[in-house]
Amino acid sequence: MGVSEELYLSLDEPPTSDHLWRYTPWKKIHPTGNFREIPENVGSPKINLSHVDGTPVEGVTLEASEEVEVPFEGSPTTDSFLMTVTKGNSLVLSIPGKWTSEKPLLIDIETNGGVEALHMHILAGDLSEATILTRISGPCEWLGLLRTAETGKGSIVTDILVNKTQGGSLMRVDAVRAGRDSTITSGTVSAGSQRTKADIRYLLDSPGSSLNVLGSLLSAEKMHLDHHIEISHTAPHTYSRLEWHTACGGASTSVGTGMLRIEKGAKKADAGQIFHNLLLSKKASANSIPELEVEENDVVGCGHGTANGPVDESQRFYLMARGFSKQESEDALIAAFLNSTLTEMGGEGVHSWLISAVEDALVNLNG
Amino acid sequence: MAMEEAREAVGDYKEGWHDPEHSTIRFDSGLSEEVVRKISKIKNEPEWMTEVRVKAYHHFVNRPMPGFGDREALEGIDFDKVCYYLRSSDATEKDWGDVPEDIRNTFDRLGIPEAEQKWLSGVTAQYESEAVYHSIREDLESQGVIFLDMDSGLREHPELVKKYFCSVVPYQDNKFSALNTAVWSGGSFIYVPKGVSVEMPVQAYFRINAKNMGQFERTLIVADEGSSIHYVEGCTAPTYSTDSLHSAVVELIAHEGAHIRYSTIQNWSANVYNLVTKRGIAHKDATIEWIDGNIGSKLTMKYPAVILKGEGSHAEVISVAYAGKGQHQDAGAKIHHLASNTTSKILSKSISKDGGRGSYRGMVTVSPKAENCKLNVVCDALILDDGSQTDTYPTMEVANPSARCEHEASVSKVSDDQVFYLMSRGHSEEEALAMIVNGFFEPFTRELPMEYAVELNKLMALEMEGSIG
Repeated sequence: MGVSEELYLSLDEPPTSDHLWRYTPWKKIHPTGNFREIPENVGSPKINLSHVDGTPVEGVTLEASEEVEVPFEGSPTTDSFLMTVTKGNSLVLSIPGKWTSEKPLLIDIETNGGVEALHMHILAGDLSEATILTRISGPCEWLGLLRTAETGKGSIVTDILVNKTQGGSLMRVDAVRAGRDSTITSGTVSAGSQRTKADIRYLLDSPGSSLNVLGSLLSAEKMHLDHHIEISHTAPHTYSRLEWHTACGGASTSVGTGMLRIEKGAKKADAGQIFHNLLLSKKASANSIPELEVEENDVVGCGHGTANGPVDESQRFYLMARGFSKQESEDALIAAFLNSTLTEMGGEGVHSWLISAVEDALVNLNG
Repeated sequence: MAMEEAREAVGDYKEGWHDPEHSTIRFDSGLSEEVVRKISKIKNEPEWMTEVRVKAYHHFVNRPMPGFGDREALEGIDFDKVCYYLRSSDATEKDWGDVPEDIRNTFDRLGIPEAEQKWLSGVTAQYESEAVYHSIREDLESQGVIFLDMDSGLREHPELVKKYFCSVVPYQDNKFSALNTAVWSGGSFIYVPKGVSVEMPVQAYFRINAKNMGQFERTLIVADEGSSIHYVEGCTAPTYSTDSLHSAVVELIAHEGAHIRYSTIQNWSANVYNLVTKRGIAHKDATIEWIDGNIGSKLTMKYPAVILKGEGSHAEVISVAYAGKGQHQDAGAKIHHLASNTTSKILSKSISKDGGRGSYRGMVTVSPKAENCKLNVVCDALILDDGSQTDTYPTMEVANPSARCEHEASVSKVSDDQVFYLMSRGHSEEEALAMIVNGFFEPFTRELPMEYAVELNKLMALEMEGSIG
């Protein structure tokens, strides 16, 4: 029995009174619903690395690896569970120091429809510059995705995950550690999975690091999307922003919980979080809990905000006055709402690719 | 304001003195079903109340501690060391002259009789477990306004109390509401008849004097259709090296078109656990406002709540918290929009200093059937020095697409520019800081009766002493 498995089996099932498990209890996202059970014969999704235009990548490697440790502590339950089920399915994406390319990298993860798991570790070398697009697609029953990353000094990394799986459940854990003076743009575009439980954590423990977290989520039909985003500032002169947009249609439920932590010593930290939910249907519901813990008094500023509401009547009226139908006007406003975070995720090429990746889901959202 | 003036006015936690213990009945420390039944027997209560108390006691015993807030501090409460009932006077008097002298002196020092003369419609003064003084203006009594201590309310209006008691805060709500229901004593009972407007506030003052004392007052305010009332509550306790426990329950019922404003200034000493459940139900077009000032205490966990049950009802919670050395103010608000066209507003301000921790914990929900609700939550926090902490834990659950909900929070320190500006106008650095802090609290103080606002400003000026350098 490995260390992770031993740790997992020693834990109790997390209670729903625990903030992290309030809206999606553990048994709802566990592959079998039985806390004590660790599934055997966990499959591995198909992986392919290329540039976004299909050309092969030079200089960057994607190789199988022995167990890679999570760079910092998160939730012991999910970390140890995913470390256990991804054993033997670990890959390391290595970007050498000073490596750069104008063309984004594309990691295609194709699921096969069973219980599958993958640990992807990204190592970005000092002063490297890379845009990494990760697309998950295919039929899915249950996918456990552990994504860990460490960025080198002065590196500039854009990391965007697009979830397009057909149905099933996604249990996702991200643990991203930012290097000194590095800049990270981290995007989540979700238009798949019937049920998602994501625990996304960032650690800014080196001075001068900067983080921009963006989300564009389409929650339709009976989807249940639960994203917890935790950003910890422990080093001085660190900066973070989070902007999370969710459009909720059908009878879907979206949950956005944030924890912004400024620890003692993180002087001149500058941090802000915004959660926006657009409610499109009477049966849809949106829950936001943006939390803030500040232990340092010498901060540039820390704040958070959340806003929930329907499509703006006056904006819709304006568009209808210009000849659009009610449906067309609403569709345009929903697209604009999601697009406002998509445009921040990268340049024109990345944006066009993202739009093409989610446009079919956009059409279905307000139908 | 000059520091000397502030010091002269409030001293070092000016309410920190204690009188020699004055008791006609004092229970041994510790809680059991027997203690609960004994309290009920002493008060000669009806059978149904005894039964509710006993059920609540068993619920308290079986209910775990809350899974949120300052769990470490909560685990520090030793329920076996608390005295659950202490009667200091055999009767609730209507004349201050009849109140035992040392207790009267205490309330004189707190300025209660003077305030009653100047600007109050009625006063209840509670000392330990029971009210020792109670009065109401005759004109209000003749209009049918009932303002009694809770025990008298139960004796004189048992049907009304039975109808509303536990209707807003059931004993199963949380561990401390169960504890309060089991051992409650004192508090206020108010009924305002249809269409009656009580122009001047009524006040209750709660004083803990004895060591290891538990104070469990129960307040029930019913405002009938189209009526209005402003209730003001103050709390203090002496400074001891051992802890005291204050665990109140307040239930408000605002019928159609009624308006209840409930203002609290708690200034507990730093050895008091203040674990309070406050909740109101607003019926059609009614308004409930909680104006809540939290200064002092070792740990405060208090989240005034409003259930907006009737269409067009409105709720407002304005709160300030000051967390000083060794203190944790875990305060906030809860508002549940159950009906259409309901509106609410929460404004929370906190200051952390000398290692104190100020937390805002809130919840707003909009139910699926509540159309066109609007709500706004604003939390601002100031951290004044190294080692202090502030947290914000807001929860927003929206299940109706027509709702417009906003929440914003910010954490900052006092701006050097503001301090410099005030110093260039001749103020010392400490005075400048005190003025900025009072300005930060201004949205709260302007909602208070003037006498309270002045007192609060003095308190804050004093707390800012020694903040510089």
